[in-house]
Amino acid sequence: MPDLLIEIGCEELPAAACREAERQLPELLTRSLSEAGLESRDSRTHVGPRRLAAIASVPPQRDAVATQQRGPRADAPEAARAGFARKHGLAVDELEQREGFVWAVSDGRAAPAVELVPDAVHRIVAGLQFAKTMRWPGGRFSRPIRWLVVKLDDEVVEMELAGVASGGESRGHRSLGAVRVGSAASYLEDLRGVHVLADAAERRELIVEGLNTAGEWIDPMGKLDEVVHLVEWPVVLEGRFDERYLELPERVPITAMQSHQRYFPVVREGRLDARFAFVANGGDAAVVAAGNEEVLVGRLEDAVFAHDKDQARGIAAMLAELPRVSFLEGAGSLADKAERVRELARQLCDRVEVEPPLREAVARAAELCKADLVSSLVAEFSDLQGYAGSLYARDAGEPPEVCDAIADHHLPIEAGGALPADEGAALLSVSDKADTVAVAFALGAQPTGSRDPYGLRRAAAGIVAIALERGYELGLVDLMAESVHMLVSQGHELRRKPLEAVPDAVDFVLDRVEPLMAEEGVTVDEMRAARGSGVTGPLPLAALCRALRDARGADWLAAIRDAYGRCIRITARAAEQTASEVRTSMFEMDEERALCAALTAADIEIADAAARRDYASALDAAALMVEPINAYFEQVMVMAEDPALRGNRLKLLADVVSTLRLVGDFEQLPG
Amino acid sequence: MSTFQQMIAQLQAFWEAEGCAIMQPYHTEVGAGTSNPATLLRVLGPKPWRTAYVEPSIRPDDGRYGENPYRFQQHYQYQVILKPAPDDSQDVYLRSLAAIGIDPLEHDIRFVEDNWESPSLGAWGLGWEVWMDGMEITQFTYFQQAGGIELEPVSVEMTYGLDRIGMHLQKVRRAQDMEWAPGVSWADVYLENERQFSAYNYELADTEMLARHFDDHEAEAGRCLEANLPLPAYDQVLKCSHAFNLLDSRRAIAVTDRQAYILRMRRLTQAVARAYLATQEGEDA
Repeated sequence: MPDLLIEIGCEELPAAACREAERQLPELLTRSLSEAGLESRDSRTHVGPRRLAAIASVPPQRDAVATQQRGPRADAPEAARAGFARKHGLAVDELEQREGFVWAVSDGRAAPAVELVPDAVHRIVAGLQFAKTMRWPGGRFSRPIRWLVVKLDDEVVEMELAGVASGGESRGHRSLGAVRVGSAASYLEDLRGVHVLADAAERRELIVEGLNTAGEWIDPMGKLDEVVHLVEWPVVLEGRFDERYLELPERVPITAMQSHQRYFPVVREGRLDARFAFVANGGDAAVVAAGNEEVLVGRLEDAVFAHDKDQARGIAAMLAELPRVSFLEGAGSLADKAERVRELARQLCDRVEVEPPLREAVARAAELCKADLVSSLVAEFSDLQGYAGSLYARDAGEPPEVCDAIADHHLPIEAGGALPADEGAALLSVSDKADTVAVAFALGAQPTGSRDPYGLRRAAAGIVAIALERGYELGLVDLMAESVHMLVSQGHELRRKPLEAVPDAVDFVLDRVEPLMAEEGVTVDEMRAARGSGVTGPLPLAALCRALRDARGADWLAAIRDAYGRCIRITARAAEQTASEVRTSMFEMDEERALCAALTAADIEIADAAARRDYASALDAAALMVEPINAYFEQVMVMAEDPALRGNRLKLLADVVSTLRLVGDFEQLPG
Repeated sequence: MSTFQQMIAQLQAFWEAEGCAIMQPYHTEVGAGTSNPATLLRVLGPKPWRTAYVEPSIRPDDGRYGENPYRFQQHYQYQVILKPAPDDSQDVYLRSLAAIGIDPLEHDIRFVEDNWESPSLGAWGLGWEVWMDGMEITQFTYFQQAGGIELEPVSVEMTYGLDRIGMHLQKVRRAQDMEWAPGVSWADVYLENERQFSAYNYELADTEMLARHFDDHEAEAGRCLEANLPLPAYDQVLKCSHAFNLLDSRRAIAVTDRQAYILRMRRLTQAVARAYLATQEGEDA
């Protein structure tokens, strides 16, 4: 089988786009070739900042396949029939006529791969999904496409893409120019000769090896994945800086090195060293290292300047500025925000029953936690949010618990990111994020489609992750209602009714529970059933999801579902005939009394178990209802002639539904 | 080693040879060369356009009384617009670096993702910041939209940070120590300027007057637009923008007003852009 090589040469793709391509290309390559009529094998892909390469073995040709396509009606205008004929490479009189239509009938013909590959290449390029694309005079892609190599073994496949004609010539490292590529087999070696490592895994290996030689390197901000896609010919170099910058609080120099510059700090005996390692893409090592050292000194100088200035100013002066700084359009100032967060933090602390000293520390931290947003240090290094505030709080003599709560209160920074290790920070983080989500929803600024300018999905995922990790019963509805209530009392105008905005915001947070549950093997149906219970916290929702998952396939669960379904069907049909309350004095049959007694017992059991989030026991209690329900349907004439009697009997069933639903909307489960 | 002014002359010569109209700085304060009508308006519509010029970028809030080695309330940009963006724009750019003495074999030059947006101009683009040995020396952007209008064709913009490049070429750590002309340092030319303007921008500028000026210039821009005079209207928008920047450096913009100011400027810029485009089409007809 011939080997196909496709190289799409681009201007520097963003690292994020490279990662998107890495994820999508393997499947996209096989699918695109298949759709073009070529079943490939032994495929591999190589991704880097200036090229996306795909290699596969393909059959030399596609065999002939007979086809017949129906065209326009036989009496359609000449132009329509001619157009159809042209599309199929036929003359009008070559079309067949039957059933009142014209047909293009073909025995098909074998097509050599060289004719089919261009279609596959177009499909690949069109099929890549980037979060962000741009236009240039020529096309639309993550960045402009500038060359194209397409070869079947050593033959160039002629084609055009985005105004670029294919050829056998690729481009090497910017300093070395063009290179002829022999074939798929020699691709990686041909490029190596012009200082390009096309394979990301190979680059990564080389980088890690180089960093290891430099010493004990660290990457707390996770830059390695990105750096792999910022270079084609990685060279790890080292730089030094003056020891005096190590007098800065540790995370400051680390951030100066890692954010923006993507350097790797080096530690020795557990302490930061006055050295760093970084990955260059060529150049004279001494010149490049000296230049990078210079840049870092500039950033460290900025850090020292900002830190000194902040210390001279003090956190109290920063706090005084908060009333003049906007938090979110329409939600007032950062001072307003801090006031709301403090109140939420108090409520949350009460609810999760933390000790009074921690409660006071968290409330104090809430007052202080936004101060660093007006600090010079955070203006220079936004990644130091929280940490900077904790430094200045300490300088002002605040106790360690307060400082610790401030330090990591913005964690997690992304879904799946590190959570606050400190309990105060965790409580503050939840309060802060709950306020942000609630307020944004009340102002009609909730995310739409892929637009999420305030990072609300991230905030919601953070709330969920912390609640689940720490076992917090959040009282989300109360917390968010409090935010909105305070927003109004602070004099800000809502753009949505609280009664709509708050439940929406709570639902939005609960949505973030679902991906976590999916990872734990909970099905979509089970998730829907659990959501249908009306629980309003991540913790009970997760517990209920897991209980339903564990009960999957059990006979008794199917029995609950069926019994629940019977109750639902009859009460839904006769909703307006249902009495407003059950009157036991109207019971005539033992089955009525039995069901009522079972319901009373289940009410208590289920409420009790749910309070402990012991949904396995709650389901057991629900299962005890099955028999009395079924007996009731067998013996009791629900739709009795007497409207009062009918109403009473319907009402009993409606109450059964309400109670059972507390452990899940069972109708969502598959039959 | 080139002086600062020689480096500028080399860039001028290079881009002149590339077919650019060499413009001069605009006569009204702008925060960036992008705001100069030679960029913001000329990128609209179908007419090809190539230009290059030095632009003093006036950002009152970046002033440091001349004490910081590279932060100033006025710094120099070199602005290039190629419309439509040619296929080899990165290569041409790299050759321009060679023209001012930056050898691409000696340095680690890289294009690192950076996307640019100006809410008040209703403009955005995708591209890179260009790194030389880890230092950001140029903003390189394919303009996608300006004045709220999708650009067709797409232009490429290159904005060189002249102070930083000059410092690097002259191997000095402070812009103040750069040689501007033989025997004349950057400090000789601009240090006092930085001191006085920092004091004015942060301490003295009359905020009530500035707020009034903003309103007046906004109203005047509206009158110009009614008379179908988009170019004078745009000058008024630039004056609004400078008044806004000064108000900002005086910390005189209330939280809740900030967004509203930006929105007012964007609306005007968009109206100017539409009117400018209509005039262009009128000329073609």
